[in-house]
Amino acid sequence: MLEEGRISGGQALMLNITMIIATTLISAPTIVANHARQDAWLAMLLATLLALPIAWITAKLGTLFPTKTLVEYTEDILGKWPGKLLSLLYLLWFINICSVMIREYGNFIVDAFMMETPLMIVNILGTALAAYTVKKGLEVLARVNQIFLPLIIVSILLVFLLALPEMKLERFLPVFEAHWVDIFRGAMAPLTWMGEISTFAMLIPFLVQPGQARHTTVITILLVGLFFTLLVVASVATFGPIIDNMIYPVLSTTRVVNIAQFIERPEPLIMAIWITGGLLKISIFYYVIVLGCAQWLTLKDYRPLVLPVGVILVALSSIVARNILELVHFIAYVWPPYALLTFEFGIPLTLLVIALVRKQGGNGP
Amino acid sequence: MAALLSKFRRPRRLNTLVPKPGKSNGDQNNQSQIDPGHASQSRNLSSNIEDNLRSLKGIFHQCSDIIFREFLFAQREQIKLALIYIDGLIDKSQVSDQIIRALSLEVPVATDETTITKKNAWHYIKMRGLCVHQLQESQRLPDIVSAVLSGNCVLLVDGHPNALIVDSRSWAARSIEESKTETVIRGPRESFVETLRTNTSMLRRKIKNPNLKIEVLKLGEVTQTDIAILYINGIANEGLVQEAKKRLSDIKIDAVLDSGYIQELIRDNPNSMFPTISHTDRPDRVAAHLLEGRVAIMVDGTPMVLVAPYLFIEAIQTPEDYYEPAIFMSGVRVLRIISLVIALTLPSLYIAITSFHQEMLPTPLLLSLAAQREAVPLPVFVEAFIMEFAFEIIREAGIRLPREVGQAVSIVAALIIGQAAVQAGLVAGATIIVVALTAMASFTVYYSGSITFRLLRFPLMFLAASFGLFGMIGGIIAMVVYMTSLRSFGVPYLAPLGPTIIGDLKDSAVRVPWWAMHKRPHLIGQNNPQREATGMQPKPPQQKNN
Amino acid sequence: MIKKTICLLVIISLIFPLGGCWSRRELNELAIVLAAGVDSTPEGNIVLTVQIARPNAFGGSQGSQQTGGKVGQNNVWVVSQEGETVQDATRYLESKVFRHIYWSHAVILVLGEQISKEGIRKAINFFSRSPDVRDQTIWVMVARGQARDILNSHSQLETTSAQSIGSIIQKGVGPPVMYKDLSMMLASKGVNPVLPRIELTLSGIPQGPELYENIPEAQNDQQQSTTTHAEVTLTGTAVFNDDRLVGWLDYHETRGLLWLKNQITRGEITVPSPTEPDKKISIDITRGNTQVEPFYDGQNIWFDVLMGLNGALLEQQSKEELTDPQIFAAIEKNTALSMEANARSAIEKAKYDYGVDIFGFGEAFHRKYKDAWPALEDKWDEAFIGADINIKGEVTIRRTGLITNRMSSK
Repeated sequence: MLEEGRISGGQALMLNITMIIATTLISAPTIVANHARQDAWLAMLLATLLALPIAWITAKLGTLFPTKTLVEYTEDILGKWPGKLLSLLYLLWFINICSVMIREYGNFIVDAFMMETPLMIVNILGTALAAYTVKKGLEVLARVNQIFLPLIIVSILLVFLLALPEMKLERFLPVFEAHWVDIFRGAMAPLTWMGEISTFAMLIPFLVQPGQARHTTVITILLVGLFFTLLVVASVATFGPIIDNMIYPVLSTTRVVNIAQFIERPEPLIMAIWITGGLLKISIFYYVIVLGCAQWLTLKDYRPLVLPVGVILVALSSIVARNILELVHFIAYVWPPYALLTFEFGIPLTLLVIALVRKQGGNGP
Repeated sequence: MAALLSKFRRPRRLNTLVPKPGKSNGDQNNQSQIDPGHASQSRNLSSNIEDNLRSLKGIFHQCSDIIFREFLFAQREQIKLALIYIDGLIDKSQVSDQIIRALSLEVPVATDETTITKKNAWHYIKMRGLCVHQLQESQRLPDIVSAVLSGNCVLLVDGHPNALIVDSRSWAARSIEESKTETVIRGPRESFVETLRTNTSMLRRKIKNPNLKIEVLKLGEVTQTDIAILYINGIANEGLVQEAKKRLSDIKIDAVLDSGYIQELIRDNPNSMFPTISHTDRPDRVAAHLLEGRVAIMVDGTPMVLVAPYLFIEAIQTPEDYYEPAIFMSGVRVLRIISLVIALTLPSLYIAITSFHQEMLPTPLLLSLAAQREAVPLPVFVEAFIMEFAFEIIREAGIRLPREVGQAVSIVAALIIGQAAVQAGLVAGATIIVVALTAMASFTVYYSGSITFRLLRFPLMFLAASFGLFGMIGGIIAMVVYMTSLRSFGVPYLAPLGPTIIGDLKDSAVRVPWWAMHKRPHLIGQNNPQREATGMQPKPPQQKNN
Repeated sequence: MIKKTICLLVIISLIFPLGGCWSRRELNELAIVLAAGVDSTPEGNIVLTVQIARPNAFGGSQGSQQTGGKVGQNNVWVVSQEGETVQDATRYLESKVFRHIYWSHAVILVLGEQISKEGIRKAINFFSRSPDVRDQTIWVMVARGQARDILNSHSQLETTSAQSIGSIIQKGVGPPVMYKDLSMMLASKGVNPVLPRIELTLSGIPQGPELYENIPEAQNDQQQSTTTHAEVTLTGTAVFNDDRLVGWLDYHETRGLLWLKNQITRGEITVPSPTEPDKKISIDITRGNTQVEPFYDGQNIWFDVLMGLNGALLEQQSKEELTDPQIFAAIEKNTALSMEANARSAIEKAKYDYGVDIFGFGEAFHRKYKDAWPALEDKWDEAFIGADINIKGEVTIRRTGLITNRMSSK
């Protein structure tokens, strides 16, 4: 095995949560509110519900092949060369996600905090830090995540608690104004983010008990859904439907905090959350890419790939979009059908069906 | 060119006192000769006392502190005795009263003189004559030499190829005092001293159990220092004890003058800034650690006892936490965590916010900061860096200075840096506050833990000055990633935070009351996890209903 | 290993100085803007006025010793610049102000009367787009006259007039409007924006020599201009139709507006005594709460407005016995009538003088009748004019201060 480390069920759960929420949490409400306006929270709940099958499929495939990653069991299911091809597509997809993420990451820091700094520098530094984490291996990644994720979640909740005086529940009225099609369309973007749970297929064999995968994914989706809904509720309650024009509504929510002229401007918190969360998320995908590539090339160690993959990621991150509007458009409109239909839901479902029909897998039902 | 280079490479005599190579003969095996047992390697005593004395005198040639005291047993001319010891390491009255006087004068009084012969003298001396508590025999010359060196008296008897080793060790030693490095308000006050035996006795007094094992070995080819490994059998993990012993036995060094030598030679990550073995001079701390399943290493000649494994969380734990009420000490723990964060990040946060993210300050604060900075000619970063540097200088001076001038230094430092620098407009008042707070905060946590943080503060300040909060937080993340990858004797360094061990969080940011701490730390004491009975929470006496 | 380390160190040492050049800005390179004002020129350009803090005046011991004698003088530097857009004006401003113009701590944004009449959308966009500006928490208001004059004033208590105005707005005498509230009002079709109106009024005589003010009305009168002080005062509300200023509400109408928008936080209502109508009684508002309930039968729209007040009687000129429940009920009734009158006057002004819904009745309607709303939203103001509004006040006086009846009554 390429990776010696093992992670516990709890660690896997937390990795999954980070994998989904970290970068999306800053801009999530906007994209949803674009379609569903004040009913965005409904869209979030719907997305959570729809994401459960994706989680289930991922976990099911993982438990059928408890010692293999996605890159490895595609070969078992489809045969050597078709499997290799599919794995390659998956790897490219991971690289795509990761570079978009790095771009988003850098954009936020530059837009909101460091106007004059070139985006490239932030991207390079972020990626370098992620590379360092990846080199340390999965166990370290899981532990670092265990340390930071609770801090991230607590700080986000704290910020919303502080912004509570600015929130008004009547901004949610009237309920169900958006057409159900709009709500459904609003649900698509968060569904795609939650669908990133399919990446977990790369980590299942490193669980101490791979059988826990099913609980892990389902609980992840439920928690993440709850968390996203909370984000949307808080943002809409603070600003109403106008959040659909804000690029970073959560940042704006923190900016209105002002309690007794003393606790104000808790943006450093948001910035710290973003920097750490984003970095962890990038590290996870980065790790998955590097590990997948090593398995695909049947190498003995994945560490030599860290540097070249990092260079590719940084280079791609600067060409995935020309400007922030294109990036937001990509994330909101292009990404959902593209990711959802193929890599997150379509292909895994097909794989599962084929595997079940052929009665493959170690401990099938 | 080549000639020039070769000129450079030509070995030069850097030390003119070293004899030129080739001129001296027979010095080649200097290194092995230094071993005190070498000269007499595997030689035994002969039955002729004169021979023995001659060879011992040869070994102790030019050792002015070695005393060879020759006298007669029971006033018999033909039974010659010789006592060999080091002046200053023995109890003089014991040697003269219980050995010399007893053997030369009292034995003839107590015994029928006629029965004493050269042949049975050995028996008489050993069984009747000597009035001492501990006696050993040896006929190997190296043993005798090392016995003499460690402060024993060696008694040679004419006609017998054996020597008696009498324990009469006594030397001037520091008495047990209050700990200087870790003071407490409540709890035992004693601290370790330089004598190994005294130290082990202090622990034995605390843990009266045969399972407290104290294994001794000698390290240091020249110094022959005694090292003791302490652990509690049945609590400490077997693997841990084996690993510690293995690491110790791998050491080949000329001298061990302090436990710091050992610490650097057996630690897991030799290049790391973070300590992975702790040291303390408090017996209660060591006892508590042993009871958790750790291993302690004592070195003769130093009061600092090493304890392994050391986890990062211990930086905020003090022995006192376990003696004072739990709720209060939990509050203090939180305070220490905040201090730790301040000690690490406050200067860099200050730099990042004042030179990158001014929007994060409340308006009145910003205006007042801006007013202070108006006259200061330096950028914030340089200013903060200089002040941090100045503080480190003062701190170092405070440690090194003789106590008498310490007062003067602190006054000068306070005046110059506190008052004058601000009034001269060289430094903003806020910077002084930041530096002072950072300095104070760094002293609230375990000393060697805070040294690391004091050092890491500077790279973080660089990062903050270059990339603002982004750089600073990035630096902290890199630091945490690095710390997570460390292990101390197999235990993850950041446990119980990462990996998170819920049960062990009872003794982290909070300290739960004793009746709730049922288990030993999970990763250290898993050999024998239960520490106490459950359900001991004190309750008011139950009123019996009739 | 060593080579690697050296390489790494070299790279790191190259990166460090690079970073410093970009976003780092020392505090003494900043011109901290505390207040911004936007006016328009007859040519259609924009005049941006900024109030920049002079850090020396805010110092601790040293600063205050030097400037302590001259409160209100030279704490700020007010400078104006014409430009085609606000951003344009800012750039030109940089040719006068050698420090970086730093917006994050701007407390207030004052819009001139003229530009408000032309439409505020062209003045405010910069403030929400630039990440430098604290877009959400900046207080927005309309100046009667020129915004520049407001910024040119100084406060007798606070070190800058910007901070003083910011505090006045928060007290809730007029509608407190943050930038985010303004953008929400502009975005919504169910409500038209209102902003507090401020102007300079003569307020007391400065207690020091050499203090004179630039009061527009007093410019011809040399003696007055040297002895009176003009303080920025909140005098009412500016009413907008979409983004154009259409008129004002006076103090009492503003109270009514606040009641109807459910923004009453504190304040006072003075009513005639039930027994001696020429004497007055003052009720202090402890808590106010307004509920708006829309009704729609497919044809007519009407609203039931219930205004609840919890108050304390804190002043009584008359001398009736408050312990008499009937008299007490009569006082409560008078108070309710006064509240209703205030609200009604505001509604009438909005309906008949300006023809705009500034109270958010449209939003209340939207919340209840989401199906009927799409048909009405584009002509809501007309529907609002036609709608009946039934106002009912409910007053509970819970306390009477530290005494019950007047002690001085015989």
